[in-house]
Amino acid sequence: MPDLKQYQGLVLIGVMATITLWLAATGQLELYISPRHTIFAVTMSAVGLIAVTISAMHVSPGPPRAVRRRVPRFLSGAATALTALVTAAMTLLPPATLTSATATQRDINSTIVPADESTLLTDTAPDAAAANLSLADWASLLRQSTDLAFYDGKTVRATGLITPDPDDPDNVFYVSRFYVTHCTIDAQPVGVPVYLPDWNSTYDADQWVELIGTFEANGSLSSSQAIAVAAQTIDTVDEPSDPYIYR
Amino acid sequence: MFTVRALTGDIAFVDLPNAAQDLVTLTLSVLIESIGFVIFGILLSVLVQVWIPDRWVIKVLPRNAAARRMIISVLGVLLPVCECGNVPLSRGLIARGFSVPEAMTFLVAAPIVNPVTILTTYQVFGFEDGIFVARIIGGFLIANLIGWLFSQHPQPARLLTERFSAECTVVNHDHSHDRNTKWQESRNLFARESAAIAPALILGAFIAGLVQVAVPRAVLVALGSNPVWSVLALMALAFIISICSNIDAFFILPFASTFMPGGVVAFLIFGPIIDIKMLVMMRTTFTTKTLIHITAVVALMSAVIGFLVNFYA
Repeated sequence: MPDLKQYQGLVLIGVMATITLWLAATGQLELYISPRHTIFAVTMSAVGLIAVTISAMHVSPGPPRAVRRRVPRFLSGAATALTALVTAAMTLLPPATLTSATATQRDINSTIVPADESTLLTDTAPDAAAANLSLADWASLLRQSTDLAFYDGKTVRATGLITPDPDDPDNVFYVSRFYVTHCTIDAQPVGVPVYLPDWNSTYDADQWVELIGTFEANGSLSSSQAIAVAAQTIDTVDEPSDPYIYR
Repeated sequence: MFTVRALTGDIAFVDLPNAAQDLVTLTLSVLIESIGFVIFGILLSVLVQVWIPDRWVIKVLPRNAAARRMIISVLGVLLPVCECGNVPLSRGLIARGFSVPEAMTFLVAAPIVNPVTILTTYQVFGFEDGIFVARIIGGFLIANLIGWLFSQHPQPARLLTERFSAECTVVNHDHSHDRNTKWQESRNLFARESAAIAPALILGAFIAGLVQVAVPRAVLVALGSNPVWSVLALMALAFIISICSNIDAFFILPFASTFMPGGVVAFLIFGPIIDIKMLVMMRTTFTTKTLIHITAVVALMSAVIGFLVNFYA
């Protein structure tokens, strides 16, 4: 009689490999890892699935259990239950991006994100250059300067999800995205602050929007941001298929 | 399974709060990132235990213990598996005849002294502030120190969990008597290693995700400019985020202007060896007491190297 514990490992590896392949097949793997790592993850998952299948068909009795259990039964049971719960969540919950909760928890624009040097603005750069800037570029610029003269005449066009400013959540929000190097574990939130009193009567946190506006002095007294975008238009949009900015 | 996932794809069975949803996303992200390396590591472990002749694995190494450990600590150059995959590979090396301290040396060194990590660290930092050099040399020294310290243990086998010790005995017994064909051995071994590693990976990923959701990043960043706290804070960050050594240099780069270089070095040395996910996975092989000792030594040495870099940089 084969040891069921051996099948447990094969089942778990099989579930993880299958989910990886399914996400890749449906174009959603990028919600979790960088596209640069897709080939490796998919290849090894396929190899793993083959190995699991072959092992499961021919597995023979495992080593004898001559080992005294030291882990209390309730701990072992809790670990098994937790493993089952995580596996069920992986299998049943729809794929999702990180939300504004993590953006707030990780402190938007708290780290420097490498900007595309070709798009960095100078005082003398034409205003049209601003149209090519990504949210990561704007975040880099905001860390370099909050001098309104620098931003004068430059229009911000950005798409991202709404994250309330923790210092003034009723009047200021960020249009934000996550900058990801490898996977969501290293995701860093970047964004531009928008001053719009009572914004949550019109929009919801975590809603994706397309913002057009210009920087002005932040009208909020409690926000830590010196300048913020005064919006010309804010249109709600669907979450894009590539919600993260990958390095 | 594929059908189940396809059918359940966009159905929201429960409307989770944001933090819980992010916990699921982060956990799944760690699992997807790691699964390829874990499968690769298990397959390498099977290869080492079943298919590679003794003369290639054991007999080619120097007889002198210190020299052997030095060679083993650069084996990561030949077997560039991410740290998650190094756990099953190390288990395979022990089962194949490596001493426990030798396998520890490999486990500690390989995530740092391997070509991918060396290249990415150099690509990010070059020779600036000595970060690159301190990381590679630091990882090598700590691995050999760990190996030497545990080689002084009168009964190194007691550093292992009883279950893994029993499995090693059976594997060696099976191998020596050639009861099964090599293919049958490989299938059984793949199943056994999966049973040991997969639950630990899932638990480790979940705990890493949970801590990420619970601990505000700002708390750690606020400590960055102090010569002592910058080191300790970034070691804590490394422990929490459980990020892969192949790309941790890219991750920490944006923090480099906030934290002192010694903190960055401590992050780059401590994180690949000890983090939440790795501890849970290593617990499949080593006793809790052993892991506490390893963690203490690695933390102490990483901090000392970090302080030295802060002092001289």
